Amino acid sequence: MSIFESRGATRRFGGLVAVDSVSFAVEQGEIFGLIGPNGAGKTTMFNLITALTPPTSGQLLFQGQNIVGKQPHQIAAMGIARTFQNIRLFGNLSALENVKVAQHTHTHANVFAGILGTPGAREEARRVEAKARELLRLVGLGESADEKAKNFSYGDQRRLEIARALALEPKLLLLDEPGAGMNPNEKGILSDLIRQIRDQFNLTIILIEHHVPLVMGLCDRIAVLNFGQLIALGKPAEVQSDPAVIDAYLGD
Amino acid sequence: MTTNLFFQQVANGLAIGSVYAIFALGYTLIFSILGIINFAHGAVFTLGAYFTFTLTGTAFGFNGLLAQQKLPFSLWFPLALLGGALLAGLISVIIERLAFRPLRRRGADSLLTLVSSLGLAVAIVNIIQFLVGAEAYSYPSSALNDILTPFLFLFPDGKVPLALRVPLTEPPIIVRMVQVVIFATSIFILIALTYLINGTKVGKAMRAVAEDATTSSLLGISTDRLIQFTFFLSGFVGGIAGVLVGMSVGITGPYFGIAFGLKGLAVIVLGGLGSIPGAVLGGLVIGLGEALVPAEYIGYKDAVAFAVLFIVLLIRPQGLLGRVFIQKV
Repeated sequence: MSIFESRGATRRFGGLVAVDSVSFAVEQGEIFGLIGPNGAGKTTMFNLITALTPPTSGQLLFQGQNIVGKQPHQIAAMGIARTFQNIRLFGNLSALENVKVAQHTHTHANVFAGILGTPGAREEARRVEAKARELLRLVGLGESADEKAKNFSYGDQRRLEIARALALEPKLLLLDEPGAGMNPNEKGILSDLIRQIRDQFNLTIILIEHHVPLVMGLCDRIAVLNFGQLIALGKPAEVQSDPAVIDAYLGD
Repeated sequence: MTTNLFFQQVANGLAIGSVYAIFALGYTLIFSILGIINFAHGAVFTLGAYFTFTLTGTAFGFNGLLAQQKLPFSLWFPLALLGGALLAGLISVIIERLAFRPLRRRGADSLLTLVSSLGLAVAIVNIIQFLVGAEAYSYPSSALNDILTPFLFLFPDGKVPLALRVPLTEPPIIVRMVQVVIFATSIFILIALTYLINGTKVGKAMRAVAEDATTSSLLGISTDRLIQFTFFLSGFVGGIAGVLVGMSVGITGPYFGIAFGLKGLAVIVLGGLGSIPGAVLGGLVIGLGEALVPAEYIGYKDAVAFAVLFIVLLIRPQGLLGRVFIQKV
């Protein structure tokens, strides 16, 4: 069974069909690329998966279960995390707090235990803190845990978003242009980081990315969207030589 | 104004200002999460006062459906206060269900929610009037003595049960014991709330939702439940504010909270919308400003609050501690 499957997912916005009966399946442990020209429907696809936008029709299956109709927080609790193309950190919270917020679903102490500082709640708070610091170290931000997120450089903010997404302990991680705004050197480090977290946390990753070398080097398989339709699906080398893909990218 | 009178009025101003502060925090909590002013907050303030009155086991007056009715039991005043505040919090949660959530689900403009909350406030005020009439109530002095007594141990002369004399100057500065209680309770609430927001898990979730509700939901936070909790908290502190004012000047009738509600709006606008320290500062500034109005102009007391607001907004449109909102074009 595939960990994630889209069966004819469709989303219309008025007359525009942003995602047009797209079907594909992602296997456990894959790094799966989602590419296409601007406006091809890639981010809309992510919004469908995370329930920010309900699909007009079609099914989305996560571990064999249809997730259409669930609330975003339920999707998160099931084990799907994401980052954003336009970074959406909590700017006024510290890096550490940003990560801790995402651990919310995995902690059990209730409001009153938290306020009263019961031994259980304090023990949990210590565990949460240690885990958050470990994740920050993993993405290379261990030194600036107490800095407010809005003061971070662009590349650091992207990596903080990844740490925050990992704090959800997801099974499926959606990365929306994780390398945007990074220089080639940073992109190299990012590739290594993505592979490392896949192996370390036993993740499946779906990745939207424009930077072709990054996608080709990193992804096991790639799906290409154009005007909301899936025009190619396969290994990087196959996709790269597909005439439909070349056509979509270079135009007529 | 003599020095003595000045200090006297500062004490009065701090007491009322601290109540303004916790009342305004009720607005601020909801505003910072939803970006909407809850116009029913004044009604919750009123209800807190009435609920507590009911729980002290005192009979109602001669008008309304519940005329001459009373509970078969009576609670110790601090317990009645806690019970009244909890019930006010519960009503606040119901207000959210009736006036906020249905509109939020349909993605309605926040201006519409403002109107629906105002409508619900009017309905609540009228229900109160229907039940217990329009007359004024005050907490039974026996109930208040219960909680004020412990303070007398601090002042063994015990001459004035409801006042403590500070023998520094002549004539003495008189601080009513009820003011001490009001001030202490407000400060306690402020500290507890600050801790809740900055030091606990749910507080962290509240700050996250305040910044970006969508992202918070993707991180597994149920925004509906968090909004519900925020309304409860807002109603809880609003209800306590109602009781504290009721202790000081009595419950003046079903419209008790409406004028106070407007004052609360002045407080949050003055302090800066959505800013918690701003609400506290705004409350104290307006409380002190009003108290320092000379006795012969006391009729213009309310005008002072809004005059202070007017002048501050001319200089700092974002309020004393508010953030500047950058209009994106």
